[in-house]
Amino acid sequence: MSQLRKDPISGRWVIIAGERSKRPDDFRKAPEACSSEGSGFCPFCEGSEAKTPPEVFALRPGPTPADSPGWQVRVVPNKFPALSRGGPVPRNGEDLFVWMDGRGVHEVVIETPDHGREMADLPVDGLRDVLWTYRERIRSIERERQYRYIQVFKNKGREAGASLSHPHTQIVATPIVPKRVKEEIYGAERLFDRYGECVFCRTIRLEVERTERVVLRGYRFCVLAPYASRFPFEMRVHPVRHSARFADLQDEDLLPLAETMKSVLLRLKNALSDPPYNFLIHQAPNARMTLNGGRPVSIDRSFHWHIEIIPVLTKVAGFEWGTGFYINPVSPEVAAETLSREHSSGE
Amino acid sequence: MKAKPRILIVEDEKPLCLLYREELEKEGYEVTTVLDAASALQALEKTPFDLVVTDIRLPGANGLDFIKKVMEFRKDVPVIINSAYESYKQDFASWAADDYVIKSGSLDELKKKIRILLEKRHVAA
Repeated sequence: MSQLRKDPISGRWVIIAGERSKRPDDFRKAPEACSSEGSGFCPFCEGSEAKTPPEVFALRPGPTPADSPGWQVRVVPNKFPALSRGGPVPRNGEDLFVWMDGRGVHEVVIETPDHGREMADLPVDGLRDVLWTYRERIRSIERERQYRYIQVFKNKGREAGASLSHPHTQIVATPIVPKRVKEEIYGAERLFDRYGECVFCRTIRLEVERTERVVLRGYRFCVLAPYASRFPFEMRVHPVRHSARFADLQDEDLLPLAETMKSVLLRLKNALSDPPYNFLIHQAPNARMTLNGGRPVSIDRSFHWHIEIIPVLTKVAGFEWGTGFYINPVSPEVAAETLSREHSSGE
Repeated sequence: MKAKPRILIVEDEKPLCLLYREELEKEGYEVTTVLDAASALQALEKTPFDLVVTDIRLPGANGLDFIKKVMEFRKDVPVIINSAYESYKQDFASWAADDYVIKSGSLDELKKKIRILLEKRHVAA
């Protein structure tokens, strides 16, 4: 079984997947296409259902049986998961070395039966179904109280970490709140204390007034190039109405979110020749948190869920690793101007 | 007399081929070993194997591509990845295989998984 190990200095948790996980030449490979390209077999394609673990959820328009063709969106547990389900997970420790069993949930959302139809190319209704599926899976996993954080993320393209080109998203639930998430939650809480309002709501208001970093402004969702973007053409999709949890997304918001996502992904595709990208949903954890001194963090009023989209155009290198500073060669103002002018047609 | 289940082992290390052959024949299987993916594909064309066990790092080929080729013309045959490296579990292309065994000195886990997959196919030794 894998382990979660805590770095005693930074406090960061790491999933150690296996004792003999990689050997040196695994890290020397030239960039390559996703594994299913140029091949006739893909385990995520319609007709290959027997090659995945039994589905935990599927959207089927007709009365087709589970694990058979006829689905629109399909969710399956990871066949060889990094984290596996189980009961409560006690922390173990010996001096500086703290670890836990690698318990958690690892699921794959297969976004469409169509191998070649990337998220940007899905019809808006299809994209709404994918977003609805994320929400329902998050709600379901949150009912298992031992999982404290649920990360929904997509890797598109080999350089972004995808090993199969068939469109898919991953959902990983962990028994701890990751350090980066904690930092964001604490940062938002501190700024709530300073300004008396949610910092994300304040950011949306100020950015919409200034306009220079607005990629897309809709009635319910707003897409910004963050003021201190770390990467070229980084974007954040925010619900305009305050909400800390993606799971609280209302039915009537699903279609506007799908339209927004499709629009920005198409702009990215058209402006940058279909780049690899990652997107991740930042949302409130499924746990109570406290500040130093024991005061509870008021996550529901100070945090605001959002989707971060990061095109993979540059590499994180020595300076960034050493200092935590990122050098971004494209200002967010230029990125926003480029993407806001880009057409979002792709049908 | 009941035919023995036929297993194809794809493994580029000869001593391991001998070990697998000896141990699995004792379990009542008919075992064929080949050293590379090209020979494995040829063997699969000639013989209706009931199960394939393959390493991923093979001479001149990526074992994951080999498994996908197997799926193209023998979708029904179960495949077990038998690798020293757990990292391939992170690659969704590994899902073309039915199971995954980390190589170790003991063949108990491999034998158990072979038995389970053959039972699923209603082919038992």
